[in-house]
Amino acid sequence: MPFFDCLQQASFFDCLAHPPLDPYAVSQGLWLIIALPLAGALLSGLLGRLLGRANTNLIACAAVGGSFVISLLAFLALNDRSATLQTPFSDEPLRFALGHDFGTWFAVGAFRAQFGLAVDHLSAVMALVVTGVGFLIHVYSTSYMGHDRGYWRYFAYLNLFVAMMLLLVLADNLPLLFVGWEGVGLCSYLLIGFWYEDAAKAWAGRKAFVVNRIGDFGFLIGMFLLTLWVGAFDAQTRRFAGQGRALDHWRAGMMERGPLTFHGLEEAVRRIPPAPAATAGAVTLQTPIESGPLQGLTFGQALTAVLLLFMLGAAGKSAQLPLFVWLPDAMAGPTPVSALIHAATMVTAGVYLFSRIGFLLVLSPAAMATVALVGAATALFAALIAFGQDDIKKVLAYSTISQLGFMFMAVGLGVFWAAIFHLATHAFFKACLFLGAGSVMHGNADETDIKRLGGLRREMPWTAATFLVASIAISGFVIPLSGFFSKDAILHGVHASRLAVFEWVPTAVWVVGLVAAFCTAFYIGRLYLLVFEGKRSPQARVAHPHESDWPMTVPLVILAALSVFAAVYGLPIIHAMGRDQTLIENYLLPVSRIPEELERIHRTVAIEEAAGWSDWMKTWTEAWFIALAGGLLAGVLYLWYFPSPHRAPSALGRALMRAARNGFYVDRLYELAIVRPTKLISFLLYKVVDTLLIDTIFVRGTAWVTARVATVIRYLQTGDAQSYAAVMALALFLAAGYALIQVLK
Amino acid sequence: MVSTQHYLLLAAFLFCIGMFGVMVRRNALVVFMCVELMLNAANLTFLAFARQRGDSIGHASAFFVIAVAAAEAAIGLAILIAVFRSRGTLNVEEIKTMKH
Repeated sequence: MPFFDCLQQASFFDCLAHPPLDPYAVSQGLWLIIALPLAGALLSGLLGRLLGRANTNLIACAAVGGSFVISLLAFLALNDRSATLQTPFSDEPLRFALGHDFGTWFAVGAFRAQFGLAVDHLSAVMALVVTGVGFLIHVYSTSYMGHDRGYWRYFAYLNLFVAMMLLLVLADNLPLLFVGWEGVGLCSYLLIGFWYEDAAKAWAGRKAFVVNRIGDFGFLIGMFLLTLWVGAFDAQTRRFAGQGRALDHWRAGMMERGPLTFHGLEEAVRRIPPAPAATAGAVTLQTPIESGPLQGLTFGQALTAVLLLFMLGAAGKSAQLPLFVWLPDAMAGPTPVSALIHAATMVTAGVYLFSRIGFLLVLSPAAMATVALVGAATALFAALIAFGQDDIKKVLAYSTISQLGFMFMAVGLGVFWAAIFHLATHAFFKACLFLGAGSVMHGNADETDIKRLGGLRREMPWTAATFLVASIAISGFVIPLSGFFSKDAILHGVHASRLAVFEWVPTAVWVVGLVAAFCTAFYIGRLYLLVFEGKRSPQARVAHPHESDWPMTVPLVILAALSVFAAVYGLPIIHAMGRDQTLIENYLLPVSRIPEELERIHRTVAIEEAAGWSDWMKTWTEAWFIALAGGLLAGVLYLWYFPSPHRAPSALGRALMRAARNGFYVDRLYELAIVRPTKLISFLLYKVVDTLLIDTIFVRGTAWVTARVATVIRYLQTGDAQSYAAVMALALFLAAGYALIQVLK
Repeated sequence: MVSTQHYLLLAAFLFCIGMFGVMVRRNALVVFMCVELMLNAANLTFLAFARQRGDSIGHASAFFVIAVAAAEAAIGLAILIAVFRSRGTLNVEEIKTMKH
């Protein structure tokens, strides 16, 4: 019962638990969440110049703000008792989920894709983060882009980005998700190259696009394989475990909604029994595929291939090894864009994807191990590079890559709730850090070199205070804030995870994660201390920086506050299922229930849950000491050791620093191994195929032959009309003679 | 009795006169008149067959030919006047700019 209906029957306080809007109405209106920013993008893009700066600002902010309000209504409506989603795949409705099918996008043979949107606890958290942080960044941008001529273009792209990200999050099938997936990539390209008059920035946009395309290619192939996989599953399954009608029901749903909906896939894999317990007519992961292009593989192997291809896609979008190289260059875009796209939202798409298809991931220990190891390697590698960066935005970019690595660690080892928790807290504090960096640049004539800043705390108190809060949140030194809890939840879950087949992986990932956490505290400490503490650098561009306007500082304060208070969700204060659960774990249970069930049945991964507060206290203390050590090291080095003129870093230190500054030469390696050979081959193809074969032989050759023939036969054209008439008469005479002979015969 | 063959022979004779005129005469105006002669030869053929078959389709065709010939004469004469004004001659051997 909605809140206002309730008010007529009961008192105000009794009604507080009721959602403001009826769940059915919310499910019908889900499209509005996407349509609002999309309309905003159209308005700003087409009419922004006519409307003027103030109106465009208003439209852009209002579109995202409205989207946030509807997302909030959906979020609240989800907790109502009547918030159930009846999918066509099974009899039992899904609880705590809403959705609606808005019609067919396309249907070819047995394949179809629907405009289906669904929201559950996972999508709701994502939608709130995207629209909430997105709204704050829009407000911030009104001031940051206050002097830019291309404001209308900027806000059109930004709104389009939010719309695409929401489509990605709310889609209930993979093809529609892919539209959002590509859309955010496109907007990222447009915004990185926003100042396209600067060639380096335009190239950075192109690099991001190309690297993303490599990942998207993997994603596409993965989707094709998954379609084949579902087809084979459909063909070889004789009956589902349980009721006899379940299989018919599922097949009917597949016909209606297509093979790649999340609910349909979930229903399918739920019916896969573990190999020893298989009944006749059921498909297990060890069953070989009998026909089709996947013939010869077992269902489990094919699924692993699909998941590894998805991992390639996720590595491209979420900047993981080996495709992370675009994100540091993406800092060419305006700083709020870095905050929104390259820290808070788009780059989390890979984490979201794997949380969404967690029920597939947990069936393949090999894919899980790969995801976790890639995440761990990226977390450490990027954190090490962040040591050596002097550009304030580059430090934050590598920090983002590193934090995303943490999320992939958690996803890979089945601790989905910790990954989503870290995703949300990271969105808050990283957006705060990036916006803080933007504020620093705004007040210091676009200076980004941290060696040429320093001592900003006195002139920019709001920026410094919020930056400090966010720094503490990300590293957890001094006092634990939200990022500390979420990162610790990941490390704790990773440590407690027992992966089948690859038993060594969780331990390895855990150790690497601890080292990366130490590095995090160090580089963030270095960043804060160099920028805000100490003395003002003699090379500073501006003698006295100024604090930014309120549209820039207010979002900073809100984000800093969120970074602090989000910690509440990491406290194990709910007692359920025989143990203390953290708030966020409990909240995400409706989504993570099925992956956890599958983990148990197939014994792919087991997570030894913390028994209670005492366990959590132990891991918190561990993690806190590590963060403290990293932070203290940074403090000692940059407040006491380096500022004194007599001490210079050792030769080894300098060499390491140089390597880290150059990103361990990964870009140069790619340049040598991939870009140069590609360019060489392209050059050869251009010279041989294009210039020689097509241009010279085909195009010019045809013209040459025609011209030569024409030089000879053109003498037939005398210009004398009477000789033409004579030829015609002769032809007529011959034709008449021929006809006469035929008739006489 | 004049039979269809007589008409056709006359038409063929007219056509040949016209054709040779087109091929050998130098004056463009005369060439033009010879073209008219060939058209009238065709008309005569249409009418001869129309008379033999006793229907009116041949008559209709002949009228079409006359209409076209009239239009052609109007435009052709205009062209001839324009050519004479610009070149000062109507000798077809001197009007041969459209060549290789």
